[in-house]
Amino acid sequence: MSHVDEGTLHAYLDGELPSTERAALEAHLAGCATCRENLSEERSLRERASAVLGSARPAERPAPPLDQLRREPKRSPWRLRRSFAWAASIALALGLGYYMRSPSGRAAPPADMTSQPIALAQRAAARDEERDKSPAPTAALSAPAHAPAATRTYERSVRPGDAVAAGEAAKLDSTATTTALARTNAAAPAPKTPDSVRLEARVASGTVAAARRDLPAPEFAARQVTATSWPVISRRMAKSILGEEPVGLPGLATRHFRRVPGTEGTIVVEQAIDSSTVIQIFQQPAYPYDSTGSGYANEGRLRPRGYLSEEQARDRGNRLFARFVKGLRVEITGPLSPDSLNRLLEQVAPLP
Amino acid sequence: MPDDIAEVYRNTYPALVRFLYRKVWDAERAEDLAQEAFARALVHRPENTRGWLFVVAANMARDEARRAAREKRHLILLKSEPDAVHSSPEDDIDAATRTKGVRAALDELTPRDREALLLWDAGMSYDEIAAQTGLARGAIGTTLARARRRLVEAYDAGQEGGQHVARG
Repeated sequence: MSHVDEGTLHAYLDGELPSTERAALEAHLAGCATCRENLSEERSLRERASAVLGSARPAERPAPPLDQLRREPKRSPWRLRRSFAWAASIALALGLGYYMRSPSGRAAPPADMTSQPIALAQRAAARDEERDKSPAPTAALSAPAHAPAATRTYERSVRPGDAVAAGEAAKLDSTATTTALARTNAAAPAPKTPDSVRLEARVASGTVAAARRDLPAPEFAARQVTATSWPVISRRMAKSILGEEPVGLPGLATRHFRRVPGTEGTIVVEQAIDSSTVIQIFQQPAYPYDSTGSGYANEGRLRPRGYLSEEQARDRGNRLFARFVKGLRVEITGPLSPDSLNRLLEQVAPLP
Repeated sequence: MPDDIAEVYRNTYPALVRFLYRKVWDAERAEDLAQEAFARALVHRPENTRGWLFVVAANMARDEARRAAREKRHLILLKSEPDAVHSSPEDDIDAATRTKGVRAALDELTPRDREALLLWDAGMSYDEIAAQTGLARGAIGTTLARARRRLVEAYDAGQEGGQHVARG
């Protein structure tokens, strides 16, 4: 018998040699010093390779319970109640509830939070505001609740649907916001500033300037509001779950794609308006699949049955911010006023 | 009868994560993909769960690599977020250097050799590797012998080269 080849030796070392071959090999080894030497070389090679490979391993973390991975069976029509529950849980999970405003425009009581990042954000906002003297249409979000009474009039005229007023209000509104900002900054550090003013300042800065803003400075990033524990997924997976490209706000940095546990085919796209304001865009394939829908502008399109239209949705106290983008039903939530969210929602489009 | 997925999950999850990690080189993504593979297994209920999982995982990792190449910029953006600063910097650097070396060495292997090696390391038998790679069972030993040799040689060569660079 000629000498044993390395492949057979490795199979032997791996315990994968069929028993007849193994017996023959062992018999040969007993009488062949060369092959015994080869075997010992291959053994150390095998161990070495295993050690090299073993040095590149992820930190082992416990597997999540299997039933957390289990997807619920396909549940037809989207449930409104369910989506409200999400919005609530998101608000809690993000710890952003403190910025939520009631529809009446009154500020909710502030929660415990360091005011430093807010002051920083305000300064950044003021800088952006100066840089962007010409108001973009998106600046017409809503007026600060604590701004002068004149501004509040405009807030009303900026209600969705009133397109003519919106354009005019945009300019005035933007000015008003700038004023509010200036006041805020004069008092900086301003922990006592009404929350709604801070909020609006950040909204204005985010929507006007976010597209041009550089990456957040480290001191912002370090204090980012932490997101939920929902599993982060890749964009590719988001696409495969949705059956099409996920949607979001063009020009905003996408932080994460997440899978929403306990749902079939719902994902959330998290985008940063600024370093401390994250909005979440929930999306799910419209069911039955609506391939004719092509966006908000296409008013006459067919819609899946059983859903509220966008207009109906808005009429419901501005609490449901939902629309259809291509084949997806999209909802939006974040630490912004209802008007702002509605306006952002109108800009949602498939991500590039 | 399909395998008991819970059992397979217990036994195979860490190996699947490891297998995926050495393809996507991102621990979180590897976990994410592994969980996605199991989630799909729960839906599909394949006959041979373990084999099926590794086939699916290999496909996902391949897609992932393509996508990652396309969205390199996006990844850099995500990585710039200071969210994973747990261990000491020295440990991180050591581990990162080692991982980089192994990754470079694995890149020197042919795709088929690499696949066989990673599957073996994930605990697959020769039969399973043969089924997945399309190699003859009798060729697995030779394939693994070659893969191991190349891995070790490329890794050692990389270490020497790396030290030269560090000194220079």
